[in-house]
Amino acid sequence: MAVYKKTYRPYDGGLTPSWSRFLVIPRYAFEELHRSRFLSTFFIASFAYPLVCALIIYVQHNASVLSLLGVQGANRLISINITFFMSLLGWQSMMALFLAAFIGPRQVSPDLANNALSLYLARPFSRVEYVLGKMSILVILMSLMTWVPGLLCYLLQSYLEGWSWMKDNVNLASGFFFGAWVWILILALLALALSAWVKWRPAAGGLMFGVFFVAGAFGATINGVQRTKWGHLFNISHLIGSVWVQLFGDTDGTTNGALFFRVPRGEELPLWCCWASLAVLCLVCLYMLARKIRGAEVAR
Amino acid sequence: MKRVWIHQIGAVLRLELKKTALSRRGWWVYILALMPVVLTLLHWLFEMSRSHGHHSLGEDSVVFAGIFLFFYLRGAIFFGCMGIFSNLFRGEMLEKTLHYYYLTPMRRELLVAGKYLSGLSVAMVVFVGSTAASFLMIGRHFGAAWTDYLVHGPGLGQLGSYVLVAALACVGYGAVFLMCGLLFKNPMIPAAVVFVWENLNPFLPTLLKKISVIFYLKNLCPVEVPVPPPFSVMVIDADPTPAWIAVPGLLAVSAIVLVYAAICARQSEISYGE
Repeated sequence: MAVYKKTYRPYDGGLTPSWSRFLVIPRYAFEELHRSRFLSTFFIASFAYPLVCALIIYVQHNASVLSLLGVQGANRLISINITFFMSLLGWQSMMALFLAAFIGPRQVSPDLANNALSLYLARPFSRVEYVLGKMSILVILMSLMTWVPGLLCYLLQSYLEGWSWMKDNVNLASGFFFGAWVWILILALLALALSAWVKWRPAAGGLMFGVFFVAGAFGATINGVQRTKWGHLFNISHLIGSVWVQLFGDTDGTTNGALFFRVPRGEELPLWCCWASLAVLCLVCLYMLARKIRGAEVAR
Repeated sequence: MKRVWIHQIGAVLRLELKKTALSRRGWWVYILALMPVVLTLLHWLFEMSRSHGHHSLGEDSVVFAGIFLFFYLRGAIFFGCMGIFSNLFRGEMLEKTLHYYYLTPMRRELLVAGKYLSGLSVAMVVFVGSTAASFLMIGRHFGAAWTDYLVHGPGLGQLGSYVLVAALACVGYGAVFLMCGLLFKNPMIPAAVVFVWENLNPFLPTLLKKISVIFYLKNLCPVEVPVPPPFSVMVIDADPTPAWIAVPGLLAVSAIVLVYAAICARQSEISYGE
């Protein structure tokens, strides 16, 4: 029997700290996303609305600009209040839905289709870290689209209006921040779960829209046919809208939800039902991910 | 020559029907179509068990109009056609099987026609059938009054209009999504654009309204559904297009889109690697 010299040498270089290993995935993913001209254009275009909001805030506090434009009374036309910030959140959240539908499906499905998952999990990298890494791509991009510009607008308004406005309206900042995070988490989980189960990327993207719009239409159908309001439990935009109204601390009914996420008057569901439905949706997505994200698949 | 063409289209139709109608991938289309049927069936059963009705027959008619406009036209048929038709060519590209068709001695235009007809027959059976079944069941709990409404009243006319609109929607959206599947690597992007455009339709200026499928279909619906506030203030009214223009117009637009898709298929080359 031939005896060969042992040539194997274990890797003895520096290891990435275990807490930050999941960030390796977004690092490469952003490079790939950056190459897509369509996505880059869409991402930049999504900042148009926050820019307009910032301009409105600036113009409202600048008497010389108002007189230059000849619209001295314009500062009474648009109020910087809860409706203003909820509209901004609603619009940006809809943009985030489109972004998630475009980039979400390309996260997990190629790894599963090409049996590449075992290559990830053969390294010191757990399933949770894999999911966190994939999620962080969506979370970072959607955060930049939603709560980051929202808080910047809030800070601009606070700077121009003064400390007392900032103190009195701190619920706007907290509502914007936590409301955006609820939406981001749901979108990220939904996108990854659909990406794991639907191998054809466009179909997974279409399903994202389907879950959002068709489920909403189905909820409205239930309401119409059965003369009830519980069909809204299928309507993600209604659930999110209800949660946002609570997070923004709208106790006197100034607004009935954000743009695209309105809650019709008289059709409000108990808040705990909304929270519970969203939690169930997240759990279903996590279950779907846990079923698919496995290093080895037993074929029967 | 014509007989050969018909024979070839028939062969493609048979092959594609097996793939489209009986595929496991298409289960969600059937669920989409079944959802309102199950709901109206439940409505019938619930109302039958109640001693006193809580609503009138006319209310059910308006509710169905809402379901048809918001669930069928803007949801189920749109997404269903997107799934069925954009998959006809793009699905074969992904599975690397399109070249088998291209290697056969058959004109590409006939391939497009065959594939379109197969998708159309599946979409029509599923969605037109679902529409008719939902309409017939939504007022069934009224018993003899419902039968009277159907036979002697405007019921059958309404059913005919809904069935026609559902069929035309399959024809129109089918042609658009077949072309998207041929032209775009990711049909999701044009589909999203079409979706936004179609949903913005009530708020568009009159001229732009007419460049959409939903505008013509909405005018053919027998019962009008009001836009709820606060969006009602933004609605721009346009003169409704008469049926004798809307139906041939939509068919003509679909034919033009299909001809363009056929030209694209004729000029296309396969490169699975890209």
